Amino acid sequence: MTAYFIRRIFQMIIVVLISAVASYALLNLAPGGPLAGLRQIQQSNRFQITEEDIARIRAYFELDLFLPYRFTRWLVGEPRGPLVVGGRDYFSDLVVGCRVPIETEVLNDRGEYESIVSGCKENVQLKDIVGRRTSRGILLGDFGLSWRLLRDRPVSDLLLSRLSKTLQLIGLSTILSLLIGVPLGVYSAVRQYSKFDYIFTSFAFMGSAMPTFFFGIVMILLFSIIPKDAGWPYVPAGLSESVRNYTIPIIGAVEAGSLKDRSLHLLLPTAVLTIVNISFYSRFVRASMLEVLRQDYVRTARAKGLDERVVILKHALRNALIPFITVVVFTLPGLFSGAIITESIFAWPGMGRLYLLALGDYDYPVAMAIFFILAILTVIATLLRDVLYTVADPRISLS
Amino acid sequence: MSAAQVANLSAEAVTIEERTPFQLVMNRFKRHRLAMISLIVMIVILIITILAPVIAPFKVEELSVNDYFVPFGTVDTETGRVHYLGTDHIGRDYFSRLIYAGRISLTIAILSVIISEAIGIVVGAISGFFGGWLDSVLMRFVEFMLTIPQLPLLLIISSMLLRNEDLIPLPESLLNFVGDIMLLGPRDARNAILIVLILAGFGWLNAAQLMRGMVLSLKEQTFVEASRSLGASNYRIIMRDMIPNAMAPIIVDGSLGLAGYVVAEAALAFLGFGIQDPVPTWGNMLAASQQFMLDRPWLPLVPGLPIFICSLAFNYIGDGLRDALDPRLKL
Repeated sequence: MTAYFIRRIFQMIIVVLISAVASYALLNLAPGGPLAGLRQIQQSNRFQITEEDIARIRAYFELDLFLPYRFTRWLVGEPRGPLVVGGRDYFSDLVVGCRVPIETEVLNDRGEYESIVSGCKENVQLKDIVGRRTSRGILLGDFGLSWRLLRDRPVSDLLLSRLSKTLQLIGLSTILSLLIGVPLGVYSAVRQYSKFDYIFTSFAFMGSAMPTFFFGIVMILLFSIIPKDAGWPYVPAGLSESVRNYTIPIIGAVEAGSLKDRSLHLLLPTAVLTIVNISFYSRFVRASMLEVLRQDYVRTARAKGLDERVVILKHALRNALIPFITVVVFTLPGLFSGAIITESIFAWPGMGRLYLLALGDYDYPVAMAIFFILAILTVIATLLRDVLYTVADPRISLS
Repeated sequence: MSAAQVANLSAEAVTIEERTPFQLVMNRFKRHRLAMISLIVMIVILIITILAPVIAPFKVEELSVNDYFVPFGTVDTETGRVHYLGTDHIGRDYFSRLIYAGRISLTIAILSVIISEAIGIVVGAISGFFGGWLDSVLMRFVEFMLTIPQLPLLLIISSMLLRNEDLIPLPESLLNFVGDIMLLGPRDARNAILIVLILAGFGWLNAAQLMRGMVLSLKEQTFVEASRSLGASNYRIIMRDMIPNAMAPIIVDGSLGLAGYVVAEAALAFLGFGIQDPVPTWGNMLAASQQFMLDRPWLPLVPGLPIFICSLAFNYIGDGLRDALDPRLKL
């Protein structure tokens, strides 16, 4: 058992490291990045941007360091300067980057000018980066500073401010969809081929084929825009609370930022996520329940005269829920990445939307932090699943 | 059938007409009524998109400067052409864009399915056939990829690839070929191909698992043993015995995959990480319409419904194919 956990944790660390390297490489190998906008301004000649400005901005984004150094500084916060052993500096002349590259404009085969780095005017040495701000490293839980969204503020502040909104939305909808979806799936399986089963499975089928983004928009139309135009009671959509007070017919006046206001805003995105999840969960439970109901031990339980309810709930459902563990456990990373699409339709200020904004706005520290946490949570969820399987089903053993 | 009925059957009625496997599958497929309807709907949509240049009254980027948001069925005063579905926010014909968008979206989905199933077949066959460390490395990788939430990964990769044109060099002939299918210039075709590569890059995992499972069970069958004892090479066994016999789940996975790719491509475009505006896709038309839906509530329905219809239809076709090919099959 202990050996198993040690091996698993070792594997987990490797997987997390690989995904850290992968996500870092993905975002940083690509040219352009945060300087892309700057180049355009420079070319448009609207502002005078000197070489010195660019060098300063490159240093701000650490783009003047070579990739391996940038990566280790991001991962563990090193190197911060020359190696000091017994009061003496070592490697202080080591070249770790290039402050001002030599760029030449070349006409490429598409007939556009392209700048190609052909050398380096001014090197960055290890002694030059002493005193530069750096994070303690993402492995130690320091995600560094945001580049654009909240400039120079810690990424962790940004994440924390969004976390509660995502937890509200995803937590509520997950709980609701479990509470509704599982019983529906069970009932539909027990009454297989009944009218209920037929109608229910067709709805669940349509629900799982319905793209979330379209469903969300239809919900906004049906429950927010159209009733509002018609002067009926409606549900506010967009953001997590209103900016100013408003009145809804029948429901009455709503104060901006009050509990009532926030609950009303929570209603539509939660409904969308819940309905989508219900169709997914219940289809899964139904299939697995049908499988179990055919088993011999269920027939045995019935044959010995047990109450049908006991047979279904105790003998069948418990076994049917074992494969369902996987589905539920992997809502953990989902909790974090949020429902990217749903949050973006409803302008819900959660993690998913933050991730989109960060990717769209070149705020790489934020995007990488979210992606990195996601990888860790996925790995934890995998371990959790394997452990829960052995708890739920003693026939499965670890290792 | 009661005994009396059996007794009444004449000899001719009992003789069963000989049928090829294809006919058997078709007959069973026809019994799934929703799948049949879906198939017809999809064929109609495909024909419309193939004939896009003939059917569409306007060109994709043709602007009518003063005619933005004209209502359904407005007639263009100069040329007499009809805006069947009105125009969008900068006066481009909505109906024409919808058809061209369908052509692009469906081509992306079909290409993605072909590529991803091909990769899945090869990886799954190799993994299942040879086993050993190769199998465990490949399958571990597949399992890991299947556990990470896909959308964040798709977004991060497409935001990188689409913004940096020179990151992946694509041959000019490929750009022209795909561009001709989608009626796009080579520049826009590049983005479409990148989307295909990204979608297929994540889409082959399921097919690989299915293929591996099939190969593992086929490996024990006597006809494979027979081939081997006749001296067939590994390559021949995989190509002639394994892959044809394992096609059923792959075909079903492919048709469900079509639904997934149509939605995924639309989702990327909707979130702004797919194909961008001047080129129409259902996803970016939907995203654009969202800005104006306060005043024009019907606007998002126009590009949204085709996405939903295609997704539903491909799902039903997949469902029907599964029942027709092998009712015991579980996917």
